[in-house]
Amino acid sequence: MSLTSPLFFAFLAGVILAYHISESVPYRRLVLGFGNAIFIASYLTDYIQILPLLAFLLLGYACVSILSVWKSSLALGLAVLGVLACYVFLKRFSFFDDLGRLPFPYLTIGLSYILFRILHIMVDVHSGDLEERIGPTAFFRYTCNFLCFVSGPIQRYQDFRAADGIAVVKLDADTVFRAFSRVVAGYAKFVIIAAVAEYAFSFLKPQLFQAGDPSFARLCMLYAAAASLYTVYLYYNFSGYMDIVLGSGVLLGQALPENFDKPFSARSFLEFWQRWHMTLSQWFKFYLFNPLVMLLMSCFPAPALTAYLGVFAFFVTFLVMGVWHGTTAVFVVYGLLMGAGASINKLWQVACAERLGKKRYRTMTETLGYVYFARGVTISYFVLALTCLWTPELSDFTRLIGRLGPAGISAAFAGIAFAFGLFWWLADRVAPRLTAPAFLATARDSLVGRNLTLASQMMVIVAVTALLHKSPDFVYKAF
Amino acid sequence: MRYILRQAALTFASFAFLYVLIGGLSYLVFPDPSHGGPRDFQVAERTLFMTVPKYVFLGRSVLDTPDSKVLIVGASNTAVGFIQKLIQPKLACAKVSNLAMGGANISEVAQVIDLVRETQSRPSAAPNTFVIGVWYGMFADSDIRFADPDRNRGESDLDIEKYRYGFYRRTANGPVAVLPSKWLDAGVMAIRPLLLVEKAAREARTGVNLLLTGRRSAQRTEVEREAAVMSEQDKKKALEYWQESMGFKRGISETQFNLLSSTVASLLDSGERVVLVDLPIPSWHRDASPYQLGYEQKLQELSGQFKERSNFISISMGDLDGDLDYSDEVHAKRHLANIWSDRLAGILSSFACREKTNKPKVSSRAPEQATAASSDH
Repeated sequence: MSLTSPLFFAFLAGVILAYHISESVPYRRLVLGFGNAIFIASYLTDYIQILPLLAFLLLGYACVSILSVWKSSLALGLAVLGVLACYVFLKRFSFFDDLGRLPFPYLTIGLSYILFRILHIMVDVHSGDLEERIGPTAFFRYTCNFLCFVSGPIQRYQDFRAADGIAVVKLDADTVFRAFSRVVAGYAKFVIIAAVAEYAFSFLKPQLFQAGDPSFARLCMLYAAAASLYTVYLYYNFSGYMDIVLGSGVLLGQALPENFDKPFSARSFLEFWQRWHMTLSQWFKFYLFNPLVMLLMSCFPAPALTAYLGVFAFFVTFLVMGVWHGTTAVFVVYGLLMGAGASINKLWQVACAERLGKKRYRTMTETLGYVYFARGVTISYFVLALTCLWTPELSDFTRLIGRLGPAGISAAFAGIAFAFGLFWWLADRVAPRLTAPAFLATARDSLVGRNLTLASQMMVIVAVTALLHKSPDFVYKAF
Repeated sequence: MRYILRQAALTFASFAFLYVLIGGLSYLVFPDPSHGGPRDFQVAERTLFMTVPKYVFLGRSVLDTPDSKVLIVGASNTAVGFIQKLIQPKLACAKVSNLAMGGANISEVAQVIDLVRETQSRPSAAPNTFVIGVWYGMFADSDIRFADPDRNRGESDLDIEKYRYGFYRRTANGPVAVLPSKWLDAGVMAIRPLLLVEKAAREARTGVNLLLTGRRSAQRTEVEREAAVMSEQDKKKALEYWQESMGFKRGISETQFNLLSSTVASLLDSGERVVLVDLPIPSWHRDASPYQLGYEQKLQELSGQFKERSNFISISMGDLDGDLDYSDEVHAKRHLANIWSDRLAGILSSFACREKTNKPKVSSRAPEQATAASSDH
């Protein structure tokens, strides 16, 4: 069920109406459970396609059940390995082609996020953070919540359980209007900004691979423009999707966690990942980075090494997070770039703090030049690393990198960093001055004004959807 | 629940109000263009419909009239070469419409013909004379021709228009109508607000172009086309382009030829007239292209197949092949387009304006010859 299809609107309206008919918790849980089943079924053309997903869920549930009675580290290790092996097999990672594959097409959408949820429950059950015995229907509603099914956000089970069939968000006229506005804003991001960026990107990308001998400057500019457009597309596609999900969640009384917090204003790579796909970053922090740091510190207890162990742990965490994004060899490169970005950033922080002292380092990071330079460099690094996502075949990736060469990549890096730095410098100066006159603000905020504003956005969304004619797809669905 | 229902009602009412308001505005700015009889679809840019494919798809109901009609179909060289304004005054017996579309292959031409016939009631269809302009570049399969990144592979511009507003739905076997063609005008009325917003977006883009480049669009003006002379490098690039666009190294698509044959046969069987025009290209292009020879042979076979039919005529304008008369490898300059148009008008006045006869028509080079051929029988 595509997010932009009339079917999805009808489905969503149906679930919201059915949910609010009664305040009975069992009834609401039933509605959500059915909603999840219908949503997943909409992706199927044959019942057999659901069987691998069902098997994966059953395996996950069995592991959680075993761990709730047998809380040993061995059991946890075996369960994690078993679930990961099953995931890798079903996801058809190209490095594990020798494992073979199932001889029929099947549903893989949502598998990655189900994996995160299952691993989280297993670890929390084992550690005792989650003592409640989870029933199969609650397990299904949590792992397959239709709002978060395709690409998160990754909600903790404890938070989910608190709102499972219980409206934790109190609905009033203002809250409901903000929820509607958020959904509409999400669609605007999704079908206007992201779709237009994708449209422009799809015209530039083939030119990078075209035969011929373009000038160095043209090639660098083409690459910088294509890579930047892809990043704009990715961000607005994903954050638009999140706005739709979170706004819809409010109408179902759910307070789902935020996934983005102005990532392009980040001043460092590590800060960037605290603002981008936040629930994924937090998951990796809790379930990979923290345990890894603890393990390393227990192996190398010298205090002088602590900061450097952190650097290594960052490298490993971001490497794994990067590799998770895809199933081909290019995503290993992406993981290495993510790992390198995070660890170099950490090393820089450690080195500056050691050399300048924490106070002087902090003062330096607050200077105007440093702020915009750091923002530009951070975004530029991320933009270039994302090349792996739009050239998923290693041969294309190496061809492109070979064509650009070190000089081309450096020039594109510098150009993007300068453009983003300058953009932010200008935006920070212009934005505060853009305030509507009082009478306009009053008219806009009136009941009629704000609803007409909402309707205007919807009108533009419908018109742009018709104009671009090819329904945009949700990019993170593939990850 | 009541807050949700209240907000849903408010949102719906606001949207409906805005929609109706913009719809009303569209009638003020662009009074209903779907009435008033056949017209030149090449002026789409000046209408609410903006592009030729959209104009043909959404505005084709104007062709459902009992008048005799000459409907010119083909690709961009047909669009620029046969000027409706020049042909119409010379053809008192019929209303002329040019429905040719840039980039069209035979499949898309067949789609245009089907769409027109689908809209017309039977008494309206009978007086149709279809002028089909062809050249070798149109005989490429849709999978090759329509492979841009912004479309689903193989979908023509007309397919895009079919799906764009939900008038058709996509199936494994191609587009299936959701809105019956008799409801076309009602459907167009319902989407007028969207068309106006799109139009505004396009005009805004044109304004930006004008501001940044001093031009409305990247397309050359007639004056620039008239002055254009192709360099050897341009010619080489053009040949390479067509090598890439055809999908075959030498021959042309058999499927496209068969489709042209069945389309012509279907038109003739239903009593409509067909003028098949073998469009000229500059001599350097004709001589250098690896496709031209095969195309000519196939076209001759096809003309031979129908030559006994009284409602069929095929013409060639191969003598109009002067290199300097073309602005590129395909498109006639304005002064040549005037000659093309005159020549077509001459042939049509003796073919489309005559009463039905049983006499077959054969290919001719010029109107005088076509007339002569007709009088021989």
